[in-house]
Amino acid sequence: MEIKKKTKKIRYTPYLLIAPSLLLFCMFIYFPFVKSFLFSFAVTNRRGELVKWVGLSNWIRMLSKPEFWGIVVVSLKFALINLVSTLLTSMIFALLCTRPGLFSKSYQLFYSLPLAIASAPAAAIWTFLFKQEGGILNWVLGTHFAWTQEANTALLSCALVNVWMNIGASFIFLLVGFRSVPLEMIESATIDGAGPFGKTIHVMIPIASPQIFFVFFLNIITSFTTFAPIRLLTDGGPSTTTTTLIYAVYKWGIQNGRFETSCVYAMTLFLFIFCTTRIQMALEKRTVYYQ
Amino acid sequence: MNERTQQQIQKQGKAFFSFIFKFFLGIVFIMPLIFCIFYSFKPETQIPVTPPTLFTKTPTLMHYAWVLTHMPFFTYVKNSLIVCFISIASQITLSSLAAYGFSFFEFPGKKQLFSVVLATMMIPSDIVIIMNYSLIQKLGLLDTYLALVFPTLISGTAIFMMRQYYLTIPRSLKDAATIDGCTDMGFLFKIAVPLSVPTIASLGLYLFINIYNLFLWPLLVTNTDTMRTVQIGISMIVTSERLEYGPLLAGATCCVVPVILIFIFGQDYIVNGMIAGAVKG
Repeated sequence: MEIKKKTKKIRYTPYLLIAPSLLLFCMFIYFPFVKSFLFSFAVTNRRGELVKWVGLSNWIRMLSKPEFWGIVVVSLKFALINLVSTLLTSMIFALLCTRPGLFSKSYQLFYSLPLAIASAPAAAIWTFLFKQEGGILNWVLGTHFAWTQEANTALLSCALVNVWMNIGASFIFLLVGFRSVPLEMIESATIDGAGPFGKTIHVMIPIASPQIFFVFFLNIITSFTTFAPIRLLTDGGPSTTTTTLIYAVYKWGIQNGRFETSCVYAMTLFLFIFCTTRIQMALEKRTVYYQ
Repeated sequence: MNERTQQQIQKQGKAFFSFIFKFFLGIVFIMPLIFCIFYSFKPETQIPVTPPTLFTKTPTLMHYAWVLTHMPFFTYVKNSLIVCFISIASQITLSSLAAYGFSFFEFPGKKQLFSVVLATMMIPSDIVIIMNYSLIQKLGLLDTYLALVFPTLISGTAIFMMRQYYLTIPRSLKDAATIDGCTDMGFLFKIAVPLSVPTIASLGLYLFINIYNLFLWPLLVTNTDTMRTVQIGISMIVTSERLEYGPLLAGATCCVVPVILIFIFGQDYIVNGMIAGAVKG
């Protein structure tokens, strides 16, 4: 009797421990996710209630519109600009900090600081820097752009704010990678006659490849879900030059009250993120060099 | 001897110049923030001036006064802090419980249930945000704290991070405690949780920065001034009809300075939290 009671207790405890978390996950992630998926095949009213099922017609209607593909292209462009700039800059910063030196904590703090700055104040600060008349950025570059209002520069402006905010986190991860390179390895490369550039390419980058790999995919996913800078700086415009998938989700769902269109964009966004993660997992097994 | 001192001096000189270069680069990188703080103390007439200068002979607090009088700024701060407090407390409690279940027990379906937790990290909250919004709206919960904290009550990252720590606690410790008559819950509260305080601190600071900085969700679920968070308050200055740069910068400064101080003093904890939270392999 005693033993039976005990085994029973051990059986139920872990489930009870996990249950509250799983219940919440179902409520605010899995349930709305399934609902978004289903509603992309339906027509809804302005309050987001189901009117009728329409099969694939939402998808067909939208995939045949150039507007949809324009939004996909903008999202990819935005991700590419973000990825390249963030990765390169944070890599340079991390390489500069690889060996702890004189007061290295001070500049390390500077390189990572913007990660503490939220997107709303960051957008506020950059709105000020982007000002056309007497703006600081125009003064530094000697240009006269209306950064956030011109079709050529609007996407670039949003990306710039995003890159500025994202470098910090990437820098921290890359620094972990570069610091894990054993000192003897760098020294023996020096003896073999490798210059600073050669050492970076042949020693530092291969050894830090797990972190570089992680940062690479992290930045793609972060760019896909960047919302605040776009909402605050350009509001998706001029015309649709800065309307990314996440902005389209908001625009159709909240501003236009068209939930089914919003759901199609949300599922497309999910598909992009899902594919990115799958590629990451597949490649990680094959290419990353672990020590 | 002479040669050696010379070499040493040369080496020190090189280290010094390398420091100057890296420090200067860092300053350039955070220049937008420095401009923001300095310009928030300048009178409106001196703001659109080229070439830009940091200092002014007539510093003023008028923009801060504007922020405090034109919007209930302290209410926004209060709301942000309440939301952060509820969310962080909930995440730490629930993730400790779940992580304890996933690390100290063997039970059927453990692997599958853990994948359910990890899979949540593949579905960013932004994808489901519209459906969550419509649910909150239907339940009539718009403009409530419950709505504000709803999607941040638990996260896969928190569970993953706590579990990673619990896995490092030796099993033998639990066996010994059980023999001494310690119950499962007793072990969690008397031994595992106290041991994990540094991890909890990392997680808490990491979550604070993330939750305090949230934008889209509070934007959707708040319509009244008494419920808005700091981020939404700032964004209202950015998108207002007549954009005034002084108040804009003063508001941004008020919003970022507390987080920056937390970041500076809790740096090591936050960095540890970020690294532990990053799922690899």
